[in-house]
Amino acid sequence: MTQRKALLLVGSPRGIGHSTSDRLGSVVLDALKGRSFDTEKLHVHAVMDSPAAFESALAAIGACDTVILSLPLYVDSFPAPVIALLERIAERRVGAGRVRFSLVIQCGFPEAKHNATALAIAERFASEVGWEWLGGAALGGTGGFAKDVGAVLAPVGEAIADGKTVPEVASSVPFPAWLYRFVGNVMWRRQAKKQGATRSLRARPYEG
Amino acid sequence: MPFTEPRVGATPGRPYDVRIMNALVLDGSRGTECRDALAALQQALADAGHLAEVIPLRERTIAPCRGCFGCWIKTPGECVIDDDGRAVARSIARCDVLVYLTPVTFGGVSSELKKALDRMIPNLSPFFARVCGETHHQRRYRKTPRWIGLGVLSQPDCEAERVFKTLVERNALNLQSERVAAAVVTPASDLAATTAALVKAVAE
Ligand SMILES: Cc1cc2nc3c(=O)[nH]c(=O)nc-3n(C[C@H](O)[C@H](O)[C@H](O)COP(=O)(O)O)c2cc1C
Repeated sequence: MTQRKALLLVGSPRGIGHSTSDRLGSVVLDALKGRSFDTEKLHVHAVMDSPAAFESALAAIGACDTVILSLPLYVDSFPAPVIALLERIAERRVGAGRVRFSLVIQCGFPEAKHNATALAIAERFASEVGWEWLGGAALGGTGGFAKDVGAVLAPVGEAIADGKTVPEVASSVPFPAWLYRFVGNVMWRRQAKKQGATRSLRARPYEG
Repeated sequence: MPFTEPRVGATPGRPYDVRIMNALVLDGSRGTECRDALAALQQALADAGHLAEVIPLRERTIAPCRGCFGCWIKTPGECVIDDDGRAVARSIARCDVLVYLTPVTFGGVSSELKKALDRMIPNLSPFFARVCGETHHQRRYRKTPRWIGLGVLSQPDCEAERVFKTLVERNALNLQSERVAAAVVTPASDLAATTAALVKAVAE
């Protein structure tokens, strides 16, 4: 059997080592490593920033059989550089008919269902480029509240390794949304104080 | 019908109760694929007496959002990156109707449009609110634009159209817009009728 290769694309501007997207995506990638996949990780924003990195990323995508895109929800969709990369993959039909594709997505609101449109966009992308859509995992509350992220994402890694559809993982915060909002609002004020905010958090600099 | 004072700039010959709106068209096309749709849209807006500013985003320098939330907790209301993204966010805050014009891209918007939308979050308050039974952000500005999504496809694709319309609605909900209308056009579409219907749907 030929060696299977999995590529993790980290789609957060905060990058590898600093983003929730990297942390969650790596859980899945490690599971694949445990199933004897060759694994590699790339940061989408860095790839889109340099023509050389872009070309070698396309080569890496073309050479693997599994792509996992782990990213934050941005305005109900993907961050712009992720869309730019997908547009170019589709134009060149990189990996068409071969790559299996899965998504790990998390959002700032406590409810996981905010990610539904982004999952639908990922599925459309797969169908248009000719990749096999395995499904994805969606987490609310910045993906930080699942008691054991490893346990939540383990079935995802297992399914991908078996080439099966990913079991539906939609993990909202395990406490009432009003509490998340209340604590979140306190946290914003605290962080603003720490950052030395230059004006009121409710300022309207663009009011006409 | 209630009598409404004519607003400055009202189109001569139009009834007094027609509100003149400032429309902002964010043109997210990557080439010429949206040219005919843009022309029809501009005509529909002009016919309804509205003013339109068109921003061809591919000609603007808008760096990707860095995900730092500086626009909420450091320089509230303004992105920390000083490029054209700020001017676009300012125009969004001031317009009455925000129009997305974009090639439908995997059911979503193009990367050109998205680079501007990711930089729109300074216009929201960081504080959370419950809206329609879900968590969203509070508004920063008193006024939120009405929303039009006009997607362009080279051929009909029901699923892409469904996803696109949902995305436009979700975006409008995120900014708590009062009115939203979306349509997808193909080369076979009646552009004049579709764009006129969109403009009418948000103006009423
Ligand atoms: C520009 C921008 C847009 C965002 N849009 C949404 C959104 O539409 N819905 C949501 O729930 N969270 C949204 N978020 C929050 C992020 O998804 C959340 O903070 C995420 O945990 C960041 O993950 P990361 O550390 O991998 O970058 C947005 C954040 C930014 C910076």
